[in-house]
Amino acid sequence: MNIEVAGVTRRFGRTQAVAGVDLEAGPGVLGLLGPNGAGKTSLLRMLATVIPPSSGRLRLLGRDPRGYARRKEIRRRLGYLPQNLGYYPGFTVAEFVEYFALLKEMPPASVPAAVAVAVDRTGLSDQARAKLRTLSGGMLRRAGIAQAIVNQPDLLLLDEPTAGLDPEQRVAFRGLLRELGQNSTVIVSTHLVEDVGAACARVALMDAGRIVFHGTPAELTARADGTDAAGDAPLERGYSAVLAAARTGAGARS
Amino acid sequence: MNAGEAARPRGGFEGRLEAELVRVVTERGAARPEAARPAWRRQPGQVERAAGWLLRSPGLARALVTTPSLLLPWLVASAGVLAAGAAATLGTRQPWVGLLAPVVAAAGIAYAYGPGIDPAWELSRSLAVSDRLVLLVRALAVFALDAGLGLAACVASGAAVGITFGWLVPMTALCALALAVATVSRSANAGVAAAAGGWALMILSEQAATGRFAAAVTGSGLVVPYLAFAVICVAVALYATRIPREVS
Repeated sequence: MNIEVAGVTRRFGRTQAVAGVDLEAGPGVLGLLGPNGAGKTSLLRMLATVIPPSSGRLRLLGRDPRGYARRKEIRRRLGYLPQNLGYYPGFTVAEFVEYFALLKEMPPASVPAAVAVAVDRTGLSDQARAKLRTLSGGMLRRAGIAQAIVNQPDLLLLDEPTAGLDPEQRVAFRGLLRELGQNSTVIVSTHLVEDVGAACARVALMDAGRIVFHGTPAELTARADGTDAAGDAPLERGYSAVLAAARTGAGARS
Repeated sequence: MNAGEAARPRGGFEGRLEAELVRVVTERGAARPEAARPAWRRQPGQVERAAGWLLRSPGLARALVTTPSLLLPWLVASAGVLAAGAAATLGTRQPWVGLLAPVVAAAGIAYAYGPGIDPAWELSRSLAVSDRLVLLVRALAVFALDAGLGLAACVASGAAVGITFGWLVPMTALCALALAVATVSRSANAGVAAAAGGWALMILSEQAATGRFAAAVTGSGLVVPYLAFAVICVAVALYATRIPREVS
């Protein structure tokens, strides 16, 4: 398993962002769904070793990230796209991706080719020499995805990756996700249920800091059977049904 | 992007729309020859190559040469301020360079690295080259460069040897203060303001106590308090950039 999470909690002052999460994930794409404030971003930040858990056990790529050396090993094999991607306005797309490739300690000789591949896979080849300050929001998001995948990570964590992408770009991105998930563990946090339905083999649904459902998209869809859950698509109705059940105390993990 | 396998089939208008989008994207991907990929390569400059050799890390070297307060406009501005200080020293026989150099260096340190100045700070905390190491290397480089500029300005102004080196210790303390405040407050401007305000207070209080304008840089009795203050500030900066192991 590339991700082993047991009883993990995270507190910010008086706010309990993550209230005891258990999760295991191997290669494949896992969609992390949930309403605002459910704890998705906090969980992702812990998996990205940006913040530590307040309690609980976390193992990433078979290693405990608390030790400096092991954390460094994990980070070399990690790709992370934060919700709010900061960027350097004066960098070009290629320079931006290269900067993070070097800080991920990729062998310098392999960096130019890796940058070209990452930029190409995100459809930014024509903008490789464009300054980031000249790009649209969707293109900046794709530059962020390019830096996340430049080192061909074994563990890829994407927080709202499709925010700002147009429908065509989203479809292409889902294809990229499926491709990446063949060899890596990919966790995608999103509000967009259709992204999960199209690209994720498994889905975890968070609410109030806990995982209230973990299963396949088909199993999530089936949760709406026999209920009058709201939603325009079957998966949305499953999502609503699980959340409603969790909030009335009847929810249970798949 | 490559479209990869087709999306899961879904019914209705949404399903047909998605299928059409998949077809368009797939065709575009197939029509794009692999040979069309640009052979992108950036040639590192001499400074970056030297830093990479010295630091044994191309990533750290790249982070160093992109330090905001080591970019040419900043360096020119710093040199300009110290040149003005040297001219004032020559004209008034007061150690203006010694009084200005600590603030110039502290501003450089505050703008070296951190959550308030680095847009990708969140991302940098998930990278193999640790953010603390980047901070350390950048801070040391800024300090060394500003110290060099200050020494050159002192030599140009013909200041006495004691005064020439007297400001290095308060400069260390002020840089540490700027670093600590910028890190804790997540604002480079707050770091600069704290250093400038603190230094002004120090100069005025020493003048009030001794009657000498330059006592803050010439008083030998201040060396130990300055160094102790610097150690405390560095400890605060380290604490603020730590990754706590347990409850925070």
